[in-house]
Amino acid sequence: MDTIMRGTHVSGAVPESTVNPYRPWPARITSIMDLTPQEKLFELRLIDSDAREAFDFSAGQFVELSVFGVGEAPISISSAPSKQGFIELCVRNAGDVTGALHRKQCGDIVGLRGPFGRGFPFEEMKGHDVLLVAGGLGIAPLKSLINHIHDDRHDFGKVTILYGAKKPDEVLFRYQFDMWQHRDDFDLMLTVDQPDDTWEGEVGLVTRLFDKIDVDPENTYGAICGPPVMYKYVIAEMRKKAMDVDRIYVSFERRMKCGIGKCGHCGVGHQYACVDGPVFNYWEAMNLQEAI
Amino acid sequence: MFFRVIAKDRLPDLVRGLSTEFEVVGPVAKGEKFVLAPIEDPASLRLDYDTTVLPPKKWFFPPEETIMRFRVADNEVVDDEVYAPPRVLFGLHPCDVNSLLLMDNVFFGKYVDPYYRARRENTLIVGVSCTPSDTCFCNAWGTDETHWGFDIFLSDIGDSYFASIRSVKGAELVDRHVESRDITDEDTRLFQERTAAFKAAFSNDVDTSQLPLLLDAKFDSPIWEAFGEKCLACGACSMVCPTCYCFDVHDELEADQQHGRRVRTWDSCQFKEFAAVAHGQNFRDTRASRVKYRYYHKQWGYLSKFERVLCVGCGRCARACKANINPVRVVEALQTGVVD
Repeated sequence: MDTIMRGTHVSGAVPESTVNPYRPWPARITSIMDLTPQEKLFELRLIDSDAREAFDFSAGQFVELSVFGVGEAPISISSAPSKQGFIELCVRNAGDVTGALHRKQCGDIVGLRGPFGRGFPFEEMKGHDVLLVAGGLGIAPLKSLINHIHDDRHDFGKVTILYGAKKPDEVLFRYQFDMWQHRDDFDLMLTVDQPDDTWEGEVGLVTRLFDKIDVDPENTYGAICGPPVMYKYVIAEMRKKAMDVDRIYVSFERRMKCGIGKCGHCGVGHQYACVDGPVFNYWEAMNLQEAI
Repeated sequence: MFFRVIAKDRLPDLVRGLSTEFEVVGPVAKGEKFVLAPIEDPASLRLDYDTTVLPPKKWFFPPEETIMRFRVADNEVVDDEVYAPPRVLFGLHPCDVNSLLLMDNVFFGKYVDPYYRARRENTLIVGVSCTPSDTCFCNAWGTDETHWGFDIFLSDIGDSYFASIRSVKGAELVDRHVESRDITDEDTRLFQERTAAFKAAFSNDVDTSQLPLLLDAKFDSPIWEAFGEKCLACGACSMVCPTCYCFDVHDELEADQQHGRRVRTWDSCQFKEFAAVAHGQNFRDTRASRVKYRYYHKQWGYLSKFERVLCVGCGRCARACKANINPVRVVEALQTGVVD
């Protein structure tokens, strides 16, 4: 029987797209780095060169990672858009798909769809100070923004990074941050909840670090990502510094299946995190029921 | 729009004619209820049906479908073709015709769902007028009328149908398969008379005033706890809903463990795990929060994007819900602040 019979229904314009947005592109794992006992950093390269060139993303966007036979999971991109041809994903071994990914070796092939969602307003942030606040694995999407700012450092004012982890061995990207602590173009502060004998840095929740920083409220963008419980406390600190509600950006994690606004799982208030977010400014987030 | 008049006793000719070119699916009796099923004999078509157990969405978005087949070794897709036979859905009520237009907004758009699209493109819609039952409330949303979204719409005017022809294909098929004539002023008068009687026959009168605003203003209202107490979290409301589109996706391996298929199935926001993420956080852990979300999304979330509510008032959820939760009661509770 005919499988193509055009123009039979009249409900509206049927778009011409022929791309299957559910079909993952094969990507090769080009590097795996152990970051902590639970988290690894995977570097991936799309095998198809056209797909690789078309993969144009902004910091804060995510991909759907596919391990056939296991399933798909949404993962935020950790590398900067300025790093071309490769995509880095910082992945916690937390579920079926991420567990399967953790068992993969360099050279193995996985699937990628994306990039999806709305990222941070990088261009709008240019010319301003930026205050980035991460808790735990929340550093993963912020790392993309941090690295992108790094590569265009001259376009930004003061850049402050506050990062809190539970324990010293859970601090992600420590190899880079240890180095950055000595740089004068990034004001980086790490803190842990439960220090060990080796820890010489700050102790306590990330909100404690706000006492140690100066913020120019007229000129500062905020970016926050962390566990759900963290947002309202960090936002309260930023509001105490008189930062504008529409210059504070948050990134939300929600359950997702499709990544393209159809499966319904990532509903947050009246929006979908996958297509309307995952990055929202605080004014938008305040208007999303149950978001924060 | 073009109009033709088709005598009721000639209608089987149209069904038989369509059957030579299409799979014809329409309402048939199943026990005391009705279902949409392939029509072998025009006599089995029951255009006097009240509603079908499942809505037409399953002919475009099946309860379970393979979206692709894969090979594990190199993580490659080996097949993602869609099989969409030429089909006619014959005898959809206005609510159901409208429901497909609402589904189009979701499955088309920036990312086009190729599976839904293929079936939508290969399916003709023949609508038919109806009589409101005691669970119907399409009048609340204006979905008691449909002005597009069909190829042919048959309005009962006594011994004949007043047929609205929306598409070239619809016009061709009427021409080819059934005797029809031009409308007269008398036919139009009968059509108006019939419409007035239809509008007067609704027993439900839902006060939808300021509904999106009330959903926010009364977000913390105790009515949601009250509905949450009653809800069984069975998800039946979503399954029978013509506009619920949420789905789950999972992989199934064949016996060789080397090949498999990625499958999508209907899902429901009423299920406990619907909004749970990998490391234990569940954003809607309570039944109250899930019942509330269903209404919040349908009457406000969807509306904020597409300027229509995601409900067509077909009343299937009212029939399916063992806890007697349905939009008529929920909207009333929102207005009054009391769950009766």
